[in-house]
Amino acid sequence: MINYIPIINILILILFSFVMMLIRKNNIVKFISLASNIFIFLLSILLVKKVLIEEVITLSIGNPSNLLGIEFYVGKSEALVALVFTFVMVMILWYSKFNLEKEVEENRLSFFYILINILLASLLGVIYTNDLFNSYVFIEVSTLSACGIIILKDKKENIKATVKYLIMSTIGSGLVLMAIAYIYSITGHLNISNIHEIIINNYQFHRNAVLIILGLFTVGLGIKSAVFPLHSWLPDAHSSAPTPASAALSALVIKVYVFMLMKVLFRMFSYEIVNSFIIMDIILLLGSMGMIFGSIMAIMQKELKRMVAYSSVAQMGYIVFGIGLGTVSGTAIAIYHIIGHAVTKSSLFLISGLFIKKTGSKKIEDLKGIGREMPFTLALFTLGAFSMVGIPILPGFISKWYLSLSCIEVGRVPLILIILASSLLNLLYYFPIVINGYFGNENLQGKIYKSKKIPFVRLLPIFLLVLSMIVIGGMSYNLIGLFSI
Amino acid sequence: MDIILTNYFETGAVILFGVGFATLMLHRNLIKKIIGMNIMDTAIFLFFIAKGYIKGKDAPIIINSFNGVDTYINPIPSALMLTGIVVAVTTTAFALALTIKLYNHYQTVDLEVILRMRGENND
Amino acid sequence: MNKDIILKEVGKIIIPLVQLFGIYVIINGHLSPGGGFSGGTVLGTSLIIMHLIYGEDFVKNIYSRKKLLIGISSSLIFYTIIKGYSFLSYELELPHPPLGKLGSILSAGFILPLNIAVGIVVACVFYIIFSIFIKDEV
Repeated sequence: MINYIPIINILILILFSFVMMLIRKNNIVKFISLASNIFIFLLSILLVKKVLIEEVITLSIGNPSNLLGIEFYVGKSEALVALVFTFVMVMILWYSKFNLEKEVEENRLSFFYILINILLASLLGVIYTNDLFNSYVFIEVSTLSACGIIILKDKKENIKATVKYLIMSTIGSGLVLMAIAYIYSITGHLNISNIHEIIINNYQFHRNAVLIILGLFTVGLGIKSAVFPLHSWLPDAHSSAPTPASAALSALVIKVYVFMLMKVLFRMFSYEIVNSFIIMDIILLLGSMGMIFGSIMAIMQKELKRMVAYSSVAQMGYIVFGIGLGTVSGTAIAIYHIIGHAVTKSSLFLISGLFIKKTGSKKIEDLKGIGREMPFTLALFTLGAFSMVGIPILPGFISKWYLSLSCIEVGRVPLILIILASSLLNLLYYFPIVINGYFGNENLQGKIYKSKKIPFVRLLPIFLLVLSMIVIGGMSYNLIGLFSI
Repeated sequence: MDIILTNYFETGAVILFGVGFATLMLHRNLIKKIIGMNIMDTAIFLFFIAKGYIKGKDAPIIINSFNGVDTYINPIPSALMLTGIVVAVTTTAFALALTIKLYNHYQTVDLEVILRMRGENND
Repeated sequence: MNKDIILKEVGKIIIPLVQLFGIYVIINGHLSPGGGFSGGTVLGTSLIIMHLIYGEDFVKNIYSRKKLLIGISSSLIFYTIIKGYSFLSYELELPHPPLGKLGSILSAGFILPLNIAVGIVVACVFYIIFSIFIKDEV
């Protein structure tokens, strides 16, 4: 029965979101949403325990043979990534229980919880599935629900951001569908393991087609994951959404598409095939440029949430860099960075929401002296900033360290300079907030703050997220050995 | 050259994709951009469905009795593209609703005018 | 007022025929092209035509917004439960004939209830989106 937990997770989330459509009272809606997500989290823990004993669970849905049915393939990396995603979503929903009424109107509140459930169901679907067309369906569902949670706040900038996001995502989905059509026409299967067995014997005869397929998948999934030149939708969308929504978007949604790209590149085509084309160098180049330019653009921002959103672009550059190295260790680092960045970036966004609510303004220069009023919150922000910069023990440092080791292993030592440069640039935009928060005292005289002191219970989800970030950093040696695609 | 002429379905699909993409990028009116998006999606459906065509066989509908698997074309691409068409319709409906909202706020559907007005009243 | 009389009289004949055609497309979905999506579109179109000819209040009395939402949610919950049942135990006791004969639709397993559920959902959603657009309250 534990074997069926992936499909049970997805069905429970979808079922409860349809039940929530019928209910009008907001308190019951919040309770149902939180209860269903906690239940999913507990089931994910059971699944991780089972997968750590056996290596891989494959379950077939609809038909026992994988030529006619859909197959779910749950290895160690998928189970751990799904566990972290459900944990982050429980914390975000706990935060939103208290803080969502300030940003979204009363009669739209239930739509947020409905859309978040469907979003999490489709993200789990993309992680677990082993079938190409099934992943396309789940990608489309996640795009539409992600656009839905941005538009809940009814301001002008939200509508512009959503239009941009929707049109660019549709172009990306179209390219992915064309790539699926190409690979179906070469091999005749849609299941990733079956395609792998056929393609490793036949790829020499179709070199041009395989190159086109790799390019289409990279560009299509890259548009949706904010890889460097195609990232222009991300700052508007993630900064104008309501705070729990932008935390969910930045921490969870953009990661799933690079995970799918890893599955396509390394499970469908193998490491040898992919390394013999020029596409890996292009991916490496895009990742490096994303790391540098994301940080440069973040330094020039004046609003807090836009700065954190540009920082997301830079961090996605790390993951794409890890994929572009083209070795087993590079892929393991990329998956570790997915997990580490998910907990870090969600806690940073939630803390930004608390800051904006307290000071009533979105700009960074109004945060001077906030350490006097909210010392503990600023301490949590400092820990998150330390992880981004690369202080030891925290997950950011572990990613940079192991990425450098992988660069040496591949033999391209000058790339370590790029990693160092981006760490320094991260320092330049996170630390002014921390230092001005504790030591700047320009704005304290005569300033009227908008709300009273925040009780500690409301800080508890963010505290748990930061605690789990430290745990992930500490356990990194055991974790990285487990990840393989 | 004769490769292009024998696979005329795929060639037509790629040309249509190019037309749709050019419409999406080069026009300033939002409604025309949505039309371009629809043309692009239709081109991809044509590409995929044409992969299932086998010359000389029938459509996969059982009239009186089942004649064996060799007399029908491949039904899998057509069945998969039903889902794709539903997704395209949903995305078009969503984009049109957003266009109406933008028109209510800005009284224009011209994308460049809207983006230029961002710096002035930023709420 | 008198100019609409041709539309109203013709509408009285045509709209039930359109709905009957929509139900035919849904029920024959497992044997001929059609099924839940296309049949639901035809049913939704019949509701839209009714709105355009007879005005908004006439349709609101028969199909109010609340009834449509209850229809959508219950059909979706029904669909999820049945699909979940069929995913979780594929070796169950469903009768699975290799073909569906044109007369015996009840022996085809779960295909018919699922088609009907999808048809209801698509028709209701089409009408709700149309009524939201035309009142300009997006």
